[in-house]
Amino acid sequence: MAAAPEPGEPGKGKPFKLLGILDVENTPCARDSVLYGSLGSVVAGLGHFLLTSRIRRSCDVGVGGFILVTLGCWFHCRYNYAKLRIQERLAREGIKNKILYESTHLDPARKQTNGGSSGN
Amino acid sequence: MAYPMQLGFQDAASPIMEELLHFHDHTLMIVFLISSLVLYIISLMLTTKLTHTSTMDAQEVETVWTILPAIILIMIALPSLRILYMMDEINNPSLTVKTMGHQWYWSYEYTDYEDLSFDSYMIPTSELKPGELRLLEVDNRVVLPMEMTIRMLISSEDVLHSWAVPSLGLKTDAIPGRLNQTTLMSTRPGLFYGQCSEICGSNHSFMPIVLELVPLKYFEKWSASML
Repeated sequence: MAAAPEPGEPGKGKPFKLLGILDVENTPCARDSVLYGSLGSVVAGLGHFLLTSRIRRSCDVGVGGFILVTLGCWFHCRYNYAKLRIQERLAREGIKNKILYESTHLDPARKQTNGGSSGN
Repeated sequence: MAYPMQLGFQDAASPIMEELLHFHDHTLMIVFLISSLVLYIISLMLTTKLTHTSTMDAQEVETVWTILPAIILIMIALPSLRILYMMDEINNPSLTVKTMGHQWYWSYEYTDYEDLSFDSYMIPTSELKPGELRLLEVDNRVVLPMEMTIRMLISSEDVLHSWAVPSLGLKTDAIPGRLNQTTLMSTRPGLFYGQCSEICGSNHSFMPIVLELVPLKYFEKWSASML
């Protein structure tokens, strides 16, 4: 049985990089964006060809579709990923503060309760 | 630390390095798409029968290939400037450590409370214990508390050196007669390796940096034991 790879090392040899530059395995959102872009490219190119029977122009539309769909999916996915990371960090810090300051005057739950009762 | 045949960045251990990783992903996707477009255009040019050797003007395409790259550059510049300013935020460090570059070792001084200073030499390959990393291990690691902002003051006693720790996104030149400052904050404990990053003589490759980030109470015990 093969030894487990070191932490951080790719599991099966070198990571696969599109055009030798884009690591789709380890970059978040890259694989999905490229796959959706490929799908968009095929749909746009094929659709244009079926409508117009122009091969070269359909290829151009396909490439343009690939770029636009990839870019759109990429930004959408990365924006959601960034929001998720911020929420994870807030949750982690909230849990840490709760554990650290429980039953002290800095307890976040006590501050909220005091804020609620002082409003009455 | 780095692993053999590595091409990408090391895992981030600080918030700034995480931001740099994300910026790198963003820029690399743009580069990938531009490269795909250029490759496609080259293949089109190689396979076309249409040639026009007396084009005098092409206003529309010239407008497009001026405006579009400007937009792309703005899309790259804005996140880049955001991270640049983030690196310079005022953050009230809890600890200051000075590091001096020498030929060919680093020395560190913790002088906030007591006078603690030591040298950090690379462990030669012949003296390594099993499991230790060749050309990366040192006799005295820089022990620092994790999850705290630390100010590093970097200078040199002789020639130019550079104090670099890739997983924390740090690289600062050590210049004789000048004091450079950088701030360091690790989000997790561990050992973080770096190497001198400015050519400084025959043993430039043999003066590594090892940071040992530990919880505060272990740091306090270590600093008491070193005095």
